[in-house]
Amino acid sequence: MRRRHLLLLSIVLLVIAVIWPNRAHLAAFPDIIGAYTAKEYCSCRYVTGNSADYCRAYTRQYVPIDFLHDDPGLRRVTARGLGRSHSAAWLGPREGCRLLSEMEPPPEF
Amino acid sequence: MPFILFPLLLLAVCLGFTGTAAAETWPDADWPVQPAAPGAAVAAFENYAFPPRDDAERRGVRSDAVVVIRDGVLVYERYAGPTGAASPHLVWSVSKSLLACLLGVAYGEGRFRLDDPVARYYPPFAAHPDIRLRHLLTWTSGLAWTEDYESAPLTSSVLAMLYTRGRQDMGAFVAGHAAAVAPGTRFSYSSGDSNALAAALKGMLGAEEYADYPWRALFEPLGITSAVWERDATGTFVGSAYAYLSARDLARVGLLMLRDGRWRERQLLPREWVEFNRTPVSVYRPQGSGAVPGGHWWLNRDVAGAARPWPDAPEGTFAALGHWGQALYVLPEDGLVIVRFADDRDPSYRHNDFLRLARAAFGRREEH
Repeated sequence: MRRRHLLLLSIVLLVIAVIWPNRAHLAAFPDIIGAYTAKEYCSCRYVTGNSADYCRAYTRQYVPIDFLHDDPGLRRVTARGLGRSHSAAWLGPREGCRLLSEMEPPPEF
Repeated sequence: MPFILFPLLLLAVCLGFTGTAAAETWPDADWPVQPAAPGAAVAAFENYAFPPRDDAERRGVRSDAVVVIRDGVLVYERYAGPTGAASPHLVWSVSKSLLACLLGVAYGEGRFRLDDPVARYYPPFAAHPDIRLRHLLTWTSGLAWTEDYESAPLTSSVLAMLYTRGRQDMGAFVAGHAAAVAPGTRFSYSSGDSNALAAALKGMLGAEEYADYPWRALFEPLGITSAVWERDATGTFVGSAYAYLSARDLARVGLLMLRDGRWRERQLLPREWVEFNRTPVSVYRPQGSGAVPGGHWWLNRDVAGAARPWPDAPEGTFAALGHWGQALYVLPEDGLVIVRFADDRDPSYRHNDFLRLARAAFGRREEH
């Protein structure tokens, strides 16, 4: 009983000490890989003009992505990793690529 | 006697000036090219800069491009991987020094003074009334910012700014950070400080003039045609990271800096501005063997008794440096400008080794 209380107390303390101060970081963390891949793949393809194969390898990180869709017609790239999807689009010859906000409609496919 | 001397003196001065002007070479639509003679020094340089490229494990030195300009003449260039002479390459944090050039033009136009509060041009900084433009330019804002990339993704302020919580409005994301120490008291390299500068520049110019400003103020006067500069959703340039240029075009910025901010007969950046760029940040204390920070440029200076970071390059050497090995080096003592693009994924590459071999291969003494 006493041991269980100790365990519970440890968990509560851990939440307070580690998770609570980092809650904003922890909530946003899973978004990084999908957003990074979508943005940097878009720029690699449509700003720098590299091949799809090169850009897949170039954006590879130690966290794997589940899905990548590149629509060359719209110059729009969607990537999903750690369960979160993000899209980036090429906007113009001076503007290059930018991540789209979650409000902007997803690409149709 | 003075009557004879004076015309002679005048003649000498005139000859001196025309002599200088005639000897000074500038690029037109393209660089004048005079390839360096091949030899052992060039071979040693290439062995270092372009070893067999490891695309499977991405280990070792992986240069994408090297362009060397000596006294305004292109003496060497080589490309690797997918990069060619026309490719606009992502320069990552070299963008910060390009942003400093834009601010230099704006400074010359009298748009701001270094000790103006940032909040005057960027209202979200009202929460930080004591942070001046000078502090952002010297990375001494004192904001509680975590500048890590792949090494600490959870708490990295940079990844959050570029990809998650900050990406829609990077300036506001920076302004939302708490102060850790008083402005001007501590050097702490921060992409947030740079993007706050990019947001402040928008306030100085207005959104419409701002959108074209990098081209009007810097790229077009230098004949740069390859530049792309990505923005956040509010139109603020990602001044910390997202400029793209060809290696030949980035070398033009190097030549501008080599010649103290002057492009042909036009003083594009005030001399005092370039002087500020090249002055070590006063509160900086040497950390390891890293380059010494100046006003949004990196310096090869010995400060506080520490040896200079690149002992085999002259003390006047300065550089714009970016993630994964991007570099624009300016060596005024040697008349050299060197651009290096890369995709280095480990820390094998050493600035000092590269510069030592480049000087041996392309320095002025090679001619004689």
